[in-house]
Amino acid sequence: MSVLLESSSTTAAMRRNFWSGVWRVMRRKPSRLVGAVLMVGFVFMGVFGPMFYPDPLPRDVNQLTAPPSWQHWLGTDDQGRDVVALVITGSRYVLLAALVTAVITVVLGTGVGLYSGFKRGRWDTVLMRITDMKLTIPGLPLLLVLSTVWKFNSAVQMGLVLGLLSWGGVARAVRSQTLSLRERGFIEAARGLGLPTTHIVGKELLPSMAPYIAMNMLIAITGGVYAQVGLFFLGVLPYESNNWGQMLNTAVFRSGALTVPSGLGFLLGPLLAILLLTLAIVLVVDAMDEIFNPRLREE
Amino acid sequence: MKRLAAVVALLGLATTTAACSAGTDDSAGPGGGRIFTTIDASRPGLDASAPANPWNPKGNSFLGYNGMKLAWVKNDLTDPNQFYPGIAASWDIAPDNSSITLHIQPDAKWSDGKPVTAEDVRTSIGIAYTTGSTAFAITPGAAGTAADITIVNDKTVKITQDMKNPSVKFARGVLDNWVVPAHIWGSVLPATFWETLKTSRGEGAAADKARQEILAIGQKVLAFSPPKDVSAGPFTLERVNPGEALLVKNKYFYNAKNVAPTAVKFLNYNGNEQVWNYLSAGKLDYSGFVAAPTDVMNRIKKAPGSHVITGFSPVAVGMAFNQSKKPYDNVHVRRGLAYLIDRAQVTKVASPDGGTPSLTTSGIHQVPAKAWIGDELNRLDPYNHDVAKADAEFAEAGLKKQNGKWLLPDGKPWTVTMTAPSGFSDWVAAQENIKSQLIDAGVNAQVITVADYPVYLQGLSDGQYDVGFWLMALGPAPYDIFQRLYGASNGWTNVAGRVTHSAPGKGGNWMGGPEEIDVKGVGRVNPGELTAELNSASPEEAKPIMAKLAMASNQDLPAIQLWDYVNTTFTNTSRFTDWPPNDSDMLRLPAGVWMQLGMVKVKQ
Repeated sequence: MSVLLESSSTTAAMRRNFWSGVWRVMRRKPSRLVGAVLMVGFVFMGVFGPMFYPDPLPRDVNQLTAPPSWQHWLGTDDQGRDVVALVITGSRYVLLAALVTAVITVVLGTGVGLYSGFKRGRWDTVLMRITDMKLTIPGLPLLLVLSTVWKFNSAVQMGLVLGLLSWGGVARAVRSQTLSLRERGFIEAARGLGLPTTHIVGKELLPSMAPYIAMNMLIAITGGVYAQVGLFFLGVLPYESNNWGQMLNTAVFRSGALTVPSGLGFLLGPLLAILLLTLAIVLVVDAMDEIFNPRLREE
Repeated sequence: MKRLAAVVALLGLATTTAACSAGTDDSAGPGGGRIFTTIDASRPGLDASAPANPWNPKGNSFLGYNGMKLAWVKNDLTDPNQFYPGIAASWDIAPDNSSITLHIQPDAKWSDGKPVTAEDVRTSIGIAYTTGSTAFAITPGAAGTAADITIVNDKTVKITQDMKNPSVKFARGVLDNWVVPAHIWGSVLPATFWETLKTSRGEGAAADKARQEILAIGQKVLAFSPPKDVSAGPFTLERVNPGEALLVKNKYFYNAKNVAPTAVKFLNYNGNEQVWNYLSAGKLDYSGFVAAPTDVMNRIKKAPGSHVITGFSPVAVGMAFNQSKKPYDNVHVRRGLAYLIDRAQVTKVASPDGGTPSLTTSGIHQVPAKAWIGDELNRLDPYNHDVAKADAEFAEAGLKKQNGKWLLPDGKPWTVTMTAPSGFSDWVAAQENIKSQLIDAGVNAQVITVADYPVYLQGLSDGQYDVGFWLMALGPAPYDIFQRLYGASNGWTNVAGRVTHSAPGKGGNWMGGPEEIDVKGVGRVNPGELTAELNSASPEEAKPIMAKLAMASNQDLPAIQLWDYVNTTFTNTSRFTDWPPNDSDMLRLPAGVWMQLGMVKVKQ
C-alpha cells in the first residue's frame, strides 16, 4: 500500500514538475505563449467558428469585392460576403483535412519506421524500398494527376489522400531513431528481462520518440494545409464554396485582387490565416523541442 | 575631382540607358511603322511549336490577320446571311437559295506573290469536308450541305446546295470557311479525293468506307505544317515564341494600302487576370471580350486611351433542367425556381458588364426578340422574383415545406445540385449566388464543378447532372436559336429533312422534355418539329413559328433564361484611331478584319 502511495505521489510530483517546466519554457520566450494561444485559437475556430455564423453567410450585393472597412475588416468577396466570416467558417474544412493528413502521416510513418527499425532484416529491406519508392514520387504532380480521377468530396477524403502521400519522411526518420535506440542499454535490459516486444515498443521505444513524433505531426499539419490550399488555388479540385484555397483562387482569378486594390482584403484573409497557423505551429514546436530535449534547457 | 568624374559617368550611363530605351519602343514596327498589339481572346496560351494551320486548334493562324475566310459574318440581329467581303469580293445567291456563286477578289494574292485562284477555293472546300463544316459536312442527310462545286473560271466558283434538306443558312455555311493556297496545301488531299467524296454521298458499305477515308484525311489536315506561312490576309506570320507571336504586313494583300499597322504582335496569356493587367497598363490596342469584375473593368477604363465598345452578342445563358430526374420533370417545380431566382442579382454578381438580366424566358436574346416576336414578348410571363408565387408552384408540384425547408413529395430532402465547368468563373459565381438565393428561400442547393467544358458537355449529354448552365438563343438564325432548346439535346434530330424524337436518355437527349406541349392559347405543339421548320422558313414565315416556340419555352421552361450577353470589345486610342462604333455589326469580328475593311488608322 505504501509502495502504491509512494508511486502515485512520485507520478504526481513528476507531472507537477513537467507542467512547471512547460510554464518556464513558455515564459522564457513570450512568443511561444503567443504561438500556444494562436494554436488554441485555431482549434476553437475550426470546432466552434462555423457555429457563430448562419448558413449561408449573409451577403450584400451592393458590396461585391469591397475593400476593408469598419463593417468588414478584410472586405468582402465577389458574392458580397464578409471575408473574416469566410475565413472562420472555411477553417473547419482546411483544419480537419490537415489534421487527418497529419494523423495518417504520423501513424503510418511511425508504424512503418518502428517496425522496420525494430525488426530489421527482410522486412526492413522491403519496407524501406517501398518508402524509397514513395519518396521518389513528387507529391504535387501526383496530386494534380489524382485530382483528375478522384473527386475529393470531403475534408476527410482530402486528408486521407494527402496523408497517404506524405508518410515517407516520417518513416525514414523514425526508423533511424529506432535503430539508434534499440542498441541502448535500457532496451537491452528490457530484452534481457524477457519483456514482450509490444511492451518494449509501446512502453520503452515510443515514449522516447513521442516528442519527436508530436513535432512531426504539427509540421505535417502545415504540409497538409499548404497542399490542399495549393490544389484549390490552382483550381484543380471541385468547387468548394468556403475554403481558404478556393478564396485565394477566387480572389486572384475572379476578383482581380492582383489587379485592383479593392480585392486585396479578400486575398489577405486566407493568406493571413495560413501565415498565423504556420507561425503558431513553428512557435509551439520550438517550445516542445526545449521541453522534451534536456540539452536545450538553459537551467 | 573624383566626385565630378562619378557624376559625369552617371550622366553618361543615364544617357545610354535612355537611348537604349528609345531603341526598344514597343510600338515601332518594321520600316518605322507602328506595331498593333493584341491578344487572341479565343485561345489562351501561344504554342510556339504549332503550325500556321487554321484548322489546328493550337495553330498560329490568327483569324482576320493571317487566317482568311471567304467572307466575314456580320453581327446582324436577325439575318444569318449578311457578310463583309473576304477572299470573295462578292457573291450571287440564287433566289431559291439553291446555289451561291463566289467572285474572288481580282487583286487577291498570296504572300508569296502568287494569285488567289478558284482552285485555291476548291482545295480549301475539299479540306473543309475532311474537318467537318456545316455546308461541307459528309454526314448523310445533314441540312444545308453542298451538292456540287464547280470552277466557272479562274476567279469564280459556283457551289450548289443539296435541296433534299435545304437550309436558309447555306450561304453562311459556304462563306464562313478558311481559304488556303492550293500550291502549299494541295498535297494533303489525295488525287482521288473528289471521287471519294462522290462515293461518300451514296449509301452502303462503300459510302461508309469513303466517309471514313475522308475523316482520316482530316487528321492529317489538323497536323499539317506548312514550311512557311503563306497567307492572303493583311499579315503573315514572321515568328512565334512562348511570349508573343509577330506578324508582319503582307505587301501582296489586295487592300494593303489601307492597312495601317506594319506588324501585329499577339501577346501570350494564360488567364484573364493577365489580360486585365495588359489592358490596365494600356498595352493592348485591341482585345476581344474578356470577362472582368466591375472594379477591374473600371481600372481598365481609366487606362490612358482606353476605349470600350459595346454591342449585341447573340447568346444567352440559361439554367437547364434534366427532366428525366425528379422533381424537375414537374413544370411547377421549374416555374417555382424561375420565380425564386432574382435574375438581376445573379447578373450583377456574375456578369455585371458582360450581360443584361433576361427580360423573361423566351428562348431568344432580348434584343432580337422584339424583332422576331414583337408584342408577344410582353405577353410572356416575366417570372419576376416572387417568393409567394414560387411557394404556390411548389405546393402545386406536391412539394412539402417542413421547418422552413422544401422537401420532395415523399418527404425526402431535396437539394438543387447545379453543375458548371470550373474555368467558367461567371457561371460558377452565378450558381453560387443562386445557391444562396435558394437556401434563403428554403430550397437546399449546392454547386459542383467539373474539370473543363468538354468534360461538362459530356456529363450533360450522359445525363449525369440535374441542373446545368446552357448557352441558348444562339442567333441570328431562327433555327439555331431554338435548336438549343428543342434540338438534339432535347431529343429532336433533323436528318434528311425528317424530324425524329429520341426518348429521354437516348440519342443525346439529356433534357428529357415532353414531345408535345399544350401551349395556352395555341394548343398542342411539337416544339422540335416547329424548330425544324425554321431551317427552311423565310423570315416572315419564321416569325409566327418563333412566337409559338417562345410561348412554349416560356410556359414549359426547359431552361430558365438568366442573362443575355453583351459584346464588350476593348480598344485603345493612344496609338490607333478609327474604331467601329458601339453596336456596329463588325464587333464580333477581330480587328484584323476591321483593318482589311480600311478601318484602324495610326494616330497622328
